[in-house]
Formats: sequence, structure tokens, C-alpha cells
Amino acid sequence: MSYYQSFDEVPGVFPYQPPSRPDPETYPERTDNPNHDPGDRTRVTGKSKNTIEAVKEMGTTQVPEIKSNIHCLTIVGQIEGHLVLPPQNKTTKYEHLIPQLVALEQSTEIEGVLIVLNTVGGDVEAGLAIAEIIASLSKPTTSLVLGGGHSIGVPIAVSTNYSFIAETASMTIHPIRLTGLVIGVPQTYEYLDKMQDRVVRFITSHSRVTEEKFRDLMFRTGELARDIGTVLIGQDAVDCNLVDEVGGMSQAINKLKQLIDERKAGDGGLKH
Amino acid sequence: MILYTPMQLELVLAGFEKLDRNSEREVTVNGVPAIVKDIGGGKTELVQILSTNPMDFLRSELYPGALVKADS
Repeated sequence: MSYYQSFDEVPGVFPYQPPSRPDPETYPERTDNPNHDPGDRTRVTGKSKNTIEAVKEMGTTQVPEIKSNIHCLTIVGQIEGHLVLPPQNKTTKYEHLIPQLVALEQSTEIEGVLIVLNTVGGDVEAGLAIAEIIASLSKPTTSLVLGGGHSIGVPIAVSTNYSFIAETASMTIHPIRLTGLVIGVPQTYEYLDKMQDRVVRFITSHSRVTEEKFRDLMFRTGELARDIGTVLIGQDAVDCNLVDEVGGMSQAINKLKQLIDERKAGDGGLKH
Repeated sequence: MILYTPMQLELVLAGFEKLDRNSEREVTVNGVPAIVKDIGGGKTELVQILSTNPMDFLRSELYPGALVKADS
């Protein structure tokens, strides 16, 4: 009680009057000089209300939204074309990918496209359609083969301005099989040969591999157990001029940034 | 249609005859025309976007296989 007693000289009356200044004698200094230095400055720091609430309610912090100027397209599993494949296949659907590429070409925010491949091939026409549309994009493109880029994945890998393959990634080059699935079309050797020519022509015109070398790889015997053809692993694909460089994610992104800068500088330094 | 793949065709095409497209229907999802499929448990899965606006294909919530809710 003794603590409170010291304030309680007259019961019910606050013991002192706060000083009041109804008419302040000093006014803040004003100046018309735009370079005027206000002197003492303080910086107010802290988190926005939303961030604090997110930490309190969910135990998470908000990830800052950074809009990237590159778009990453992943092509995985089977490339699904005119035929819907059974659900045990992981597929990349061309009817979704093609309008995406149209949107990327149109978009003002996206300046470059990175294609990440881990595919076991698929429909010839769907794969060639995707490769052609990537090759005809006006924006810089790079591709990175991770794991595998087999069969129809090869034209997609070489369709970009610059291609990379991971050191351990592999590419299988083999002929279109005579047992290839053909529905409603008489299957003749000439027909398959024409299909194969389309693939070979695209690959040789979008990479530095020669047609002779590519056909040699395609029809080599003794490399694959059940088939004729070749498996190229990492550096092998670069040695035969199919892919430009062995590399990983940072190389692919740095090259893409470099191509974007070159395009901005207007020197049109795109190769293909 | 030719499949160009090093995988065995028997593996790729296993269960081909069991494919069922009868449960697919055409609806709009978030204002975008699309084909969806009922996958049981009251869930619907997006099969294909039918929009002609290419920007709809860059929307992060719409992709084949996404669980979606059709507009009523």
C-alpha cells in the first residue's frame, strides 16, 4: 500500500498536472531549398503485417515473388501425340506444349526459354512438331538433356539455339523400328524410311552433325542388345557434334542469359 | 502414327484396350473451356484445355492432370 500512498495525497484526484503548451513558442524550420539536409534522420525497419501473420499462423514465411524473365519447359517421359497412351506412361502432351510455346513467343515478360529434357521418345509427328516450333521461336532458347534424351528427344534437344548435355545423360540413336505402331496406314518400308528421313533431315540441319555420321550412328550394330543403333553418353554426344557442350543447369542458364543480352544488343548473334 | 522410342512397345501400350474416355466432359474451369474427367471420390482431373487464348496455357493452376473444380 505504501507504494500507492505516495500518489494519493488527495483521494480521487490525480496528484499532478501535466505541463500543457496550448501555444507552442517554436515552429518547425521550413525551407524552400530542395537540397536542404534535414539533419537528424531515422530509419524505420520492420516486417509488414502480412509477413508477421504468416509466421504466427502458419509457421511459414512468405516467399518473395520474383518474376523470372526465362521460362522453363520440361519434356519428360513419352511424348504423347495423336494417340492417348495408357496411364502407366509419364507423358508430355503436345496439345498443351504447342499453345504454351505460342504464348511464350507472344509474352512480353519472357525473354528466353530453357528446355529441360528427360524423355524416352514418343510420337514422331508430335516430337517433330515441338522441335519445329522451338526452332522457329524468335526468343533465345537453350536445352539441357538430363538423364536421357532418346529417339525423338534428339531433334528436340538440337532444335534450340544452344544445347547442353549432362555428363551422365544419354541419347539413344536408332532407326524407327519396322515394328513401329501404325494404325490404319499400310505399313511399308518406304513409309518408315520417309519418316526417318524427316527426323534425320531435321537433326542434321539444326546441329553440326553430318548426315553420314548420323546415319552411321543410327545403323551401327553391336552396341545395343536388342536393336541396332548407338547410345551416346555425355561427352560422346558433343564429340560427334550433335550437342554443343557438356554442362549442367548453371551453364544452360548462363548461356541463355548471354543469348538474351546479345539479342537485346541487337547483334542477332543467334546461330541457327 | 509411329512411336519412336527405345522402350518396348509392349510396356508402353500395356492396358491400351482398357482406356476409357466415356467419363470425360466439356466444362469451364475458372472461366477457361476445358475437358475434365471424373476420377472418383468426387474429384475431377483436367484432361485438356480447349481455350484458344494461348495465355490460358501458361496459367499455373491449369495443366493436364491437375485436380480442378468445374464452374457451376
